[in-house]
Amino acid sequence: MKAAQTPHKKEVPCVFGRPPQLPITKIIRLSAALLARHRRCSTPTAALSLPPRVCSLRPESLSCRLSTIYSWHFTGKTKLCSVDAAMATTKPRLSSFSRNLSAVSSSQTPGVKCGPNGTMFVSSGIADLDKILGGGFPLGSLVMVMEDAEAPHHMLLLRNFMSQGLVHGQPLLYASPSKDPRGFLGTLPSPASLKHDKSRDRESEQEKGLRIAWQYKKYMGENQPNFDSHRDNKQDYCNEFDLRKPLERHYFTRQRVNCVGIQDSKNLAALQEHCASFLAQHQRNDGSCALAGRIAIQSLCAPQCEHSNMDWEMLSFIKSLKGMVRSSNAVVVITFPPSLLSLSSTKRWQHMADTLLSVAAIPDEDKELAKLLSGYQDMVGLLNVHKVARLNTQVPLILEATTFSIKLQKRRFLVLECLNQAPVDGSSGSSYGTSGSCSGSSKAGTLDF
Amino acid sequence: MADTICRTLRDGGLEGEHAPALTIKDSKASPFGFDVFNYVLTQLSNYILAGKSQSRGLVVVAYSRSPSFYVDLLKRRGIDIASSHDWIHILDCYTDPLGWKNWLIDKDISQEASSLSSFCQDVRNLDKLYSLIIEQGKGLIGQGKDRFSIAIDSVSEMVRHASISSVAGILSNLRSHDQVSSIFWLLHSDLHEIKFTSVLEYLSSMVASVEPFNQAAFGQRVDLENLSMLEQNFRKGKFHVRFKRRNGRVRVMVISMFLYFCGECADLLYRKSSYIYFTPLLV
Repeated sequence: MKAAQTPHKKEVPCVFGRPPQLPITKIIRLSAALLARHRRCSTPTAALSLPPRVCSLRPESLSCRLSTIYSWHFTGKTKLCSVDAAMATTKPRLSSFSRNLSAVSSSQTPGVKCGPNGTMFVSSGIADLDKILGGGFPLGSLVMVMEDAEAPHHMLLLRNFMSQGLVHGQPLLYASPSKDPRGFLGTLPSPASLKHDKSRDRESEQEKGLRIAWQYKKYMGENQPNFDSHRDNKQDYCNEFDLRKPLERHYFTRQRVNCVGIQDSKNLAALQEHCASFLAQHQRNDGSCALAGRIAIQSLCAPQCEHSNMDWEMLSFIKSLKGMVRSSNAVVVITFPPSLLSLSSTKRWQHMADTLLSVAAIPDEDKELAKLLSGYQDMVGLLNVHKVARLNTQVPLILEATTFSIKLQKRRFLVLECLNQAPVDGSSGSSYGTSGSCSGSSKAGTLDF
Repeated sequence: MADTICRTLRDGGLEGEHAPALTIKDSKASPFGFDVFNYVLTQLSNYILAGKSQSRGLVVVAYSRSPSFYVDLLKRRGIDIASSHDWIHILDCYTDPLGWKNWLIDKDISQEASSLSSFCQDVRNLDKLYSLIIEQGKGLIGQGKDRFSIAIDSVSEMVRHASISSVAGILSNLRSHDQVSSIFWLLHSDLHEIKFTSVLEYLSSMVASVEPFNQAAFGQRVDLENLSMLEQNFRKGKFHVRFKRRNGRVRVMVISMFLYFCGECADLLYRKSSYIYFTPLLV
């Protein structure tokens, strides 16, 4: 059941609060009636008159008034997430509460797309990460990435993030503790060539017949309708980057790319000023988005910076930055090594983040891990999703998995995959690893249940 | 296995990449860090002399030993000192680190060592120290695109005179310098807070820890039962190495390490001649 198509192609949200006394069945009947009314309406507004105990809300302001813990947030796209979801799904007429991806309208601004709850997303530069996070990084949010002191995987995330912004022509502010921050731009990856994309499609088509049935979960998402599965939209929104091919210079000489070094500064005042002036150019005005901006701050508490032992000053800077970015059409990504902070500071920094990710190294030539995980030989690290930004809503995004393996396909393309257990030989109880071969280590014997 | 570390330092870094950095870490439970440092120094010197390494020179920043010690060390290892002016230079931060003894400089070190070394009389100014190191290194390799290696015999001494951020800054800047091929330093971990050790591990691409062979014996009361175990800890230990590989994975190796004393003087405090060798750990 799809939401009504309006002339303005706007989503038609409808939110109502449920006081404890009102029976849930009555709410369901009322919502069904509202849906029917929406279909007949030619205007994007709708109101639901309910008993005085229930709020009567206009759709335009509904998301702002969502306050009760029993509330359902219905936008025509978001899955029903109330505790009574089971009741709603038993009634086929309520399938309108399910995600309606075809109704999503794409923003006119390149590299920006509309999401639920009035948010707008920019791509992280990694298609898999965009899917995991429900569309990308929301504009106005603060993304923090916890580094692993033994692996440079946070640099992969930063590179893709920065490259994606430059490819879309989005202004970029990059801060780094290195002596020559601008030199880092030379390591940014370039979008993969179309030839590679076509060959990948052919390979994926050929591989369909070779998939192992027991790992079906990996392929479940591919058959589901997805608004960004359309080829042109995917290229516009999120590119696939070839890590071995540097980004062409014209991307970061013509665009507004500002690089700031933070090693030699006595404190964070200069960086704060740079961020403030950058974000002032991307102020959000009544929901319109002229051009999105990106801020990438690498290793904020790097030990060679003088401010690295100023815990409260760094926290104050992050808080100030978060406040500034919230009212702007920009995304801030900050990476930091938690091993160099005190435990209490780390907790505070984690709390400040809207989206919190962490990367971790994996041991090399670990036979035990190779037996445990499928595809171990292709992994270079792990990515954990601790928190996902949810702006303008109190509904959390519950992920099926929070730990993903970081792999480099053909040593060029960054992909994230769910962790899958390697097949276990039932007769001997030992795994025969990721080779997929049934010969060699497998021993003949009866299966013991 | 320990040669893997030396080979990594020998091979240096790729173009545009930070130089490989090794932290050698020990503690009072297994105080062999300096012996490992000498071993790595000797091995790297052999590679440089043989022309097998990326680096063409070596700058030793000596905080805890005088330049004469290193000259004697290289002599004992059979390295030709006569031609050392071309490939090694010792920055003497040991004799007069704070500039107090201007009138005693000529008598403190041997003539041979003085020809290979220069003084640093203000170790608190790490910017100046950085310039001195780069200057001495360029003096060894000339104007070309060759590179040199750096050995700091104790960052524990370095941080006594400067802040953690400035020490981290100089190490980071040295690693990122185009003409530095590799760098390694010694750290006595129990002299510092965990944060400083974490900082150095963060800045390194390899961390080699010297650990006691019998962990259980350390810290206990000395009696007949654990005396032999304590004695073992002062003659052998475990060498635990973590490599940060380019692909983002971490390689871990643990091997046994034996300290062999040559000659009659086997006093642990005043040993003048000791050798160290490594064997695979038998589990």
